[in-house]
Amino acid sequence: MHIEDGILSAQACAGWYAATAAFVVPGIYEIKRRIHENLSYKPFLAMVGVAVFVISAMHLPVPVTGSCSHPCGTALAAILIGPFATAVISTIVLFFQAVFFGHGGITTIGANTFSMGICGGLSGWVFWKALRGVNCPVWLAAGVAGFVGDLMTYLVAAFELAWSLHGQVPLVKQWMIFFMGYGPTQLPLAVGEALFTSAVLLAMLNRRPDLLPQVLVRKHAPQVLLKKEA
Amino acid sequence: MNTISTPVPPLGSEGSNPRFFDGFTKVMLTIMIVMELAIFASASYMSHHKLTGTGTDDIVNNLATAKKVNGEHHPFVELPGDSELSAFSVANFFAGVIVGYNWLRLFGSKPQPGAKKDA
Repeated sequence: MHIEDGILSAQACAGWYAATAAFVVPGIYEIKRRIHENLSYKPFLAMVGVAVFVISAMHLPVPVTGSCSHPCGTALAAILIGPFATAVISTIVLFFQAVFFGHGGITTIGANTFSMGICGGLSGWVFWKALRGVNCPVWLAAGVAGFVGDLMTYLVAAFELAWSLHGQVPLVKQWMIFFMGYGPTQLPLAVGEALFTSAVLLAMLNRRPDLLPQVLVRKHAPQVLLKKEA
Repeated sequence: MNTISTPVPPLGSEGSNPRFFDGFTKVMLTIMIVMELAIFASASYMSHHKLTGTGTDDIVNNLATAKKVNGEHHPFVELPGDSELSAFSVANFFAGVIVGYNWLRLFGSKPQPGAKKDA
């Protein structure tokens, strides 16, 4: 999903920047508010931001397709710090990846953030909330969130490309052509991201459930604390 | 307001017992070795079958560029040869230090029964 400079038109780049700003600006306010409410939020944000930087730069080979791709980590980030804050850290992550590694581009930060930081994070967060709302186990809800967030990132990236470049070809057909460039390699990685999201979230909840009250459904949070202290 | 717990005790203090292979190190090394073996096995399979192992981002960027009449995609900075490896190594080393530092501060120890809870 690291779309490089020179592919999208200037109008498309501006449009995706505007769409991303609609999430990043509230995200900045959310971060400021939560830092005042909770001392642990600031180191938490730093840790999650750096983790997303590493995870989304970690190219893994997939032998069945003969190509490499990377997970995203934004679904996990959205569960831990919220979807709007995830949009903010994704913007920073993609800026540094473009400048340091030549991954992605500067004009396409808006488009890349929209696919990975906003759609990937938000879709994972929605699935997480919905599944936890019906008392789904943490490992399953987190796994589904990781899986959905990963694939949604690439679906949206393919759509961004298709929307700008479909020309005379039907939009949906061009969208699926681009997605088939990502999909076969991304599918096994999405399964890996599901396992990773579950494992990390369970480890955190096992160590410090008190730091993650927003992660558990509220009515269960005190029970977990009492169980740990007993 | 949440309090941040004290991380693992400093070396030399009472209760600290530094070992090369404590539980955490063993788990991390095991995960690392399993991942490295999977990468080496996958890469070996790809090499044997003459598969290039190109990143899908690059494949799709090339596909997208082919749709444009005068299109040419380019990264913001082109890192030639091993300089890309250096950039990744430096960034990931410091990223690991930052994640580890904050992980210890937040999750290095379980909360004490008498510790302050939210105000």
